[in-house]
Amino acid sequence: MLKKSIALCAIIALFSLSGAAFAAAPVKIGHTVSLTGGASMWGQSEANAIDMLVKKINAEGGLLGRQIEIVRYDNRADAIESVNVARRLAGDKVIAVIGPAQSGNAIATAPILERAKIPMVVTTATNPYVTVDQKTNKTRHYAFRPCFIDPFQGTVAARFAVDRLNAKRAAALYDVGSDYGQWLTRYFEEAFTARGGVVLAKEAFRSEELDYRAQLGKIKELNVDVIFIPTSQKEAAMAARQARDLGIEAVLLGTDNWGSPDLIDLGGDAIDRAFFVNLADLDDPDIRGFVTEYRETYGSDPVLPNPVMAQDALIMIVEAVKAAKSVDGPKLADALAHLKEIKVTSGVLTIDPTDHNPLDKPAVIQKVDVEKKEFVFVEKYQGK
Amino acid sequence: MFLQTLVTGLSIGGIYSLMAVGYSLIFSILSFSNFAHGAVIMLGAYIGLALATQLHLGLGLVVAGSVVGAGILSVCNERVAYAALRRRRAPSLFLMISAMGCSVFLENMVYATIGSRFYTFPEFFKRQVVHVAGSSLSLLDLFAFAVSIGAIFALHIFITRTKTGIAIRAGVGDMTMCSLMGVNTDRLISIVFFLAGAFAGVAGVFLGIKYLVYPTMGWVTNKAYIAAVIGGLGSLPGALIGGLILGVVETLVSTYLSSVMRDVFSFTMLITLLICLPNGLMGLETEEKV
Repeated sequence: MLKKSIALCAIIALFSLSGAAFAAAPVKIGHTVSLTGGASMWGQSEANAIDMLVKKINAEGGLLGRQIEIVRYDNRADAIESVNVARRLAGDKVIAVIGPAQSGNAIATAPILERAKIPMVVTTATNPYVTVDQKTNKTRHYAFRPCFIDPFQGTVAARFAVDRLNAKRAAALYDVGSDYGQWLTRYFEEAFTARGGVVLAKEAFRSEELDYRAQLGKIKELNVDVIFIPTSQKEAAMAARQARDLGIEAVLLGTDNWGSPDLIDLGGDAIDRAFFVNLADLDDPDIRGFVTEYRETYGSDPVLPNPVMAQDALIMIVEAVKAAKSVDGPKLADALAHLKEIKVTSGVLTIDPTDHNPLDKPAVIQKVDVEKKEFVFVEKYQGK
Repeated sequence: MFLQTLVTGLSIGGIYSLMAVGYSLIFSILSFSNFAHGAVIMLGAYIGLALATQLHLGLGLVVAGSVVGAGILSVCNERVAYAALRRRRAPSLFLMISAMGCSVFLENMVYATIGSRFYTFPEFFKRQVVHVAGSSLSLLDLFAFAVSIGAIFALHIFITRTKTGIAIRAGVGDMTMCSLMGVNTDRLISIVFFLAGAFAGVAGVFLGIKYLVYPTMGWVTNKAYIAAVIGGLGSLPGALIGGLILGVVETLVSTYLSSVMRDVFSFTMLITLLICLPNGLMGLETEEKV
């Protein structure tokens, strides 16, 4: 028995020695993402985009001479599952975490990584309270993002509705179970009212529900100019189809979660001539290169904007590690807060050290063109 | 506005009814809630989708294919997951847990093989809207409603007028006695599961045409289950009435009270109803079965 265990120890020692001799241990970066569940479409695209970039970085020599290893768990776009994933990632001793993509899940994840002193760079979570603690109103040390935030997005939508669509009467249809939709409705209403408009109805539905005819029937009676729908593309497409069936003529106005190529397939004619705010313009030359590469690698279109934002998040971590010359949590967080004009997939990025949001991240308004099957650029709004 | 609300409510309720029938059928004979029904509906929708997009069949053949396909899947589901438990006379709670397992298994199976994309059916109906007295209703809704009611009625005739139907009703009354009288209960149960699957196939195709096809689309059967409970689990007319009531109440609450409060209100109604009438509207007093 004793002999056996000594032999075993020797073997283990030998293996670990030889491992160390060949290469330094890889740098582990966590990725919390919805590979299944309602948001899996973006999640799988996000995972693909990260794998593609990691392969490239590793082929070019890796990070600080070490290879990058992605530790990925499925959070099923669910808050409870996200918390479990965050705990698991903290246990795995990752140096930083990419994701989650949804605001509610990011807000649930943040305190855990904050305690573990592991920087989190979310992908498309646009709620302000992802990087700022709502209770203390202080910026979280370990939370960052490459995307714009919702007050800005809601304001852009309201400005566009008033200035370009001449809208005076509006209604909103949102998911009562999502932080994203609830807060955007609020920001839109604030900005729209401040510009002299009035929001006559704020109708809600429950997550995963696809029939809004009851809510839309009520909106129809109010004769509004514009309906604000801060949801993802499948809900938006369903709402558009049902609104047109009910004979509603109002302009439909959406947010960045609409920006998925299948919006047009799902919505058909009903979604034609609707407008939405997006994180980046698809005609952007920087993104075009990424889209081509993605298509060549995976044989399908990336489901925007998540894969682009996920690459941005990974690049932020990589650049911060290079700047800090360390993978130590506090040092890395400090470097992330002071990233300046780094080249990312969506363009150039500078992080505001006071609130950990990107500076000058523009928003674009796109129009859905069903006939041409594309989103047409309409107008660009500069960041703060 | 009231008329529009009512029309919308009935058309939502019609789909709930169609799905509730599947729950009620199986509950009536095996006394357990088959939570895998939603997954069978989802698979029915995928079968219909494949027939419509790959083979370019018309609506009639798509529905027929989906009915047969989902029916067979439902029978397989029973043979694989429930039959062994049933023969060992396991409590119905175990069957229910096995059903939940099947539901998760089937959903994730679709994720792993077909993927998480959302699909739409080709347009069988050009988006035509019928206007009646100031309220609008899409042609598809009208058709779906008619087919749902027609199918439930046909099932009712089958159960009450045919030899097999009589055997099913006998099985509902007393399964042991039924088998002593020479009825092949395994075959009987397979027929019931086939019928439930057939309804799942119709419901799946309509849900897919009306909304989208994706792995978790069976979620909406939660509502149908509640409809079945309101009507009285195990009762066919109950499933129909429960579905229509739930659809109309939900729509009325969203329109006249608040859409945020809708589920709070509808579920309060459910709980109150169950306290007053534990067997639902059409359930029998003495037993939980028809």
